[in-house]
Amino acid sequence: MKNETYQDRLLKTFRAANPCLMWAFFVVLAILPLVVKSEYYLSVMIICLIYATLAVSWNLMVGYAGILSFGHQAFYGLGAYFSAIMTMELHLSPWIGIPLGGCFAALLSFVIGFPCLRLRIAPYIAIATLAFSEILLVICKNWVSLTRGEMGLSGIPPLRDFSLFGLFPVVFSGGAKVPYYYVMLSIFFITLLFIYFQTSSRVGLAFKAMREEQDAAASLGVNITRYKLIAFLTGSFFAGVTGAFYAHYVSILAPDAVFGMGEMVEIVAITLIGGIGTFFGPILGAFVLVIGLEALRGLADYRLMIYGAVMVILIIVMPNGLLAGFNHLLEKARNFGMFRKARN
Amino acid sequence: MTSFPILFEQIVNGLVLGSMYALVASGLTLIWGTMKMLNFAHGELYMLGGFGLFFGVSYFHLAPWMAVPIVLLVIFILAALLEKGLISPMLGRPDWDVGAIVVTLGIGIFVQNFAFKFWGGDFQEVPYMISGTTSFLNITLAWHRIYILSLAVIVLVAFWQLMKRTRFGLALRATAQDIEAATLMGISYRRVYMATFGISASLAALAGTALAPIFSVNPWMGSGPLIKAFIVVILGGLGSFAGAILGGFIIGISESLSVLFLGSGWKDLICFALLIAVLMIRPSGLFGGKEW
Amino acid sequence: MLKINNLQVYYGDAHALWDINLQVRRGEICTLVGANGGGKTTLLKAVCGLLPIREGSVLFDDSDLLAFKAEERVSLGLSMCPEGRKIFPGMTVEENLAIGAYTKRAWKKRQSMMKQFYDLFPRLKERRKQPGGTLSGGERQMLAIARALMSEPKMLILDEPSLGLAPNTVESVMEAVQKINGNGVTILLVEQNVNVSLQISQRGYVIESGRIVMSDRSEMLLSNPHIKQAYLGL
Repeated sequence: MKNETYQDRLLKTFRAANPCLMWAFFVVLAILPLVVKSEYYLSVMIICLIYATLAVSWNLMVGYAGILSFGHQAFYGLGAYFSAIMTMELHLSPWIGIPLGGCFAALLSFVIGFPCLRLRIAPYIAIATLAFSEILLVICKNWVSLTRGEMGLSGIPPLRDFSLFGLFPVVFSGGAKVPYYYVMLSIFFITLLFIYFQTSSRVGLAFKAMREEQDAAASLGVNITRYKLIAFLTGSFFAGVTGAFYAHYVSILAPDAVFGMGEMVEIVAITLIGGIGTFFGPILGAFVLVIGLEALRGLADYRLMIYGAVMVILIIVMPNGLLAGFNHLLEKARNFGMFRKARN
Repeated sequence: MTSFPILFEQIVNGLVLGSMYALVASGLTLIWGTMKMLNFAHGELYMLGGFGLFFGVSYFHLAPWMAVPIVLLVIFILAALLEKGLISPMLGRPDWDVGAIVVTLGIGIFVQNFAFKFWGGDFQEVPYMISGTTSFLNITLAWHRIYILSLAVIVLVAFWQLMKRTRFGLALRATAQDIEAATLMGISYRRVYMATFGISASLAALAGTALAPIFSVNPWMGSGPLIKAFIVVILGGLGSFAGAILGGFIIGISESLSVLFLGSGWKDLICFALLIAVLMIRPSGLFGGKEW
Repeated sequence: MLKINNLQVYYGDAHALWDINLQVRRGEICTLVGANGGGKTTLLKAVCGLLPIREGSVLFDDSDLLAFKAEERVSLGLSMCPEGRKIFPGMTVEENLAIGAYTKRAWKKRQSMMKQFYDLFPRLKERRKQPGGTLSGGERQMLAIARALMSEPKMLILDEPSLGLAPNTVESVMEAVQKINGNGVTILLVEQNVNVSLQISQRGYVIESGRIVMSDRSEMLLSNPHIKQAYLGL
């Protein structure tokens, strides 16, 4: 048994600690509002959770199933607008609007997915999904009677108050962030759970096979289109739900805020930072990027420039995201350390 | 119904627009044919062409016909360096097709927002290459539009001849078909890639300089052409030069005509509808799978 | 003319070629034979620069070949006709020949070179405007050899020219190879078809599982019992 260097042990500990750190993170998230009372910090956290859910659902499509979709923001926007319009015109409860928003997004993802997911080459899907998102932007801006065009919707009803166990009133209309935080946190956890179970199941195995080597998987009997559709529907559903939540959270909607390229870029950058195809990666990326940019307020103007640069640098230097990049760097450091020892 | 002059004008507009779509799409399909990747920064190269012309005219007080070649040269060099520095490293990797898309997307976004931050979001005016109008059969035609059409024809023919007859063109086609064999012939594929990117960028930038006087220069002027160019390339067939040209004109004319019936807000819908139709009926496009 | 010393080649982390020592003398036809997967193509790719070399040296006409990038080696006078011919399918016969003369020196002479090859291979002349992809196997081989010669090389490497060809065609290909050698081009012929290649060459090497196991004059190899049993089926 060779002598373990200090770096060896550090690497091992770090690796082993990864799942524990993740659980600790979730616990922290759960109890956060009990500790942090500032409305501002809570609102930042809610944004983090929104993007984390978007990134995780996008990661399912891209990282797990290998569908290079650049239209994720379309489903976000579809869920948002659907729920907003339904609650405003038909006076539905937002509690119903949110899951329905997800369903609507999933329905449309089926409509667009069915012709496009037959296509094997990554560029086709990238262009088709991007174009899909752009069409929706155009429709949203021009169908003024439905969406009020570029002026957007305002006065979207907040989530309806209810009583927890009939005893504790949960109030949304007051503008307090805590209830919204827990709702988004629940959405986040549900999304994670669903994705976890899906990727651990037979479906997840099919995803992996598809991602690695499509033709080989097809020859083994994996119905590629079917599984791609499953990933597509799942991802778009949760994006839609998140969008609907967003609509009722901020009460206003504009086409560019949800259907725009800015959202797409953010999702891509976040997932890249965290690590495509990993479970925790997109979550880490979301929190790092949103909090980071919030903290560096002065850089607000440069936000998209930074995202662009981040995408370029990361894909070249650390294509597997920060976590993997960090592990990789530690390994290199360890090898270097060992080499130096041997020379003595 | 619409009268003949209005119809004719829209057709001319369609031809003009279509020729520029063809130009931009040719660049895109050139990159695909040679390097098998999609350049998501293509729209920003178009935009840089427009801004280059603007700076050349406003800050350096050059006449447009002097500014344009300089802009093209600068962008050629810039694109070649970008390719060598940021894109080629991606192409050696296993998941290079995704990596190349992400890198160029990131570059595009960076450039677009750089322009917004440092050059302002205002719509800048740029002078026409040739101002004034002329009459033809009782119909007024702007000289600039005639310029654009002639430019497109000349450039596309020159490009075609470049590919068909010159030593460089042969080298590029060889690299596109078989890199190893091309290397055995003595061709440096790295240099071919750089030149490919440079030429492609120049084509997009040229279109940018041509359309800038009509649509004004702004940081986001490239996003529309990018998507349209993608759609043209898919319609025409990835890698097919003839397809890019034909597709460009089809989309240009359809768009222009649809303005008459749908109004300008909805005209973008036409090319998307065409895209969906192509993907459903014949994904390989009009000339897909063929070479030049 | 070509000296390979102690070459070690890896595919990633897998050791593919061990201690290769091989020499090709000026003006001769030298052959390298071995079964499928024995390492022939790997060695050729390494010599041409398409694969990296971990250790060892390659000297061509006394210059260190490894100091040159793959695309630069043609201008030194070394040309390869690769496995599977690899002609450019979308380019016409004429264009394939033209690109063979890509090097600056050869480019100027390409018209006269092409004329020579049209005389040598009349069938190519007939088909000169046809795309490479429409040619038959034998015609492709002719085209590939002609293309490799367009750069006026001092030495020509042929990687399995007989692959997939009917016996008659193989004969005509080998005749052409001998004619070319007669014109002063050194040949390194790599083949699975041991019989034919040993017959037209002066010296031969046998490679098995990444190592050179035998080297001798071709007529000695032809009568060698191991060769007879393993490769000639006798």
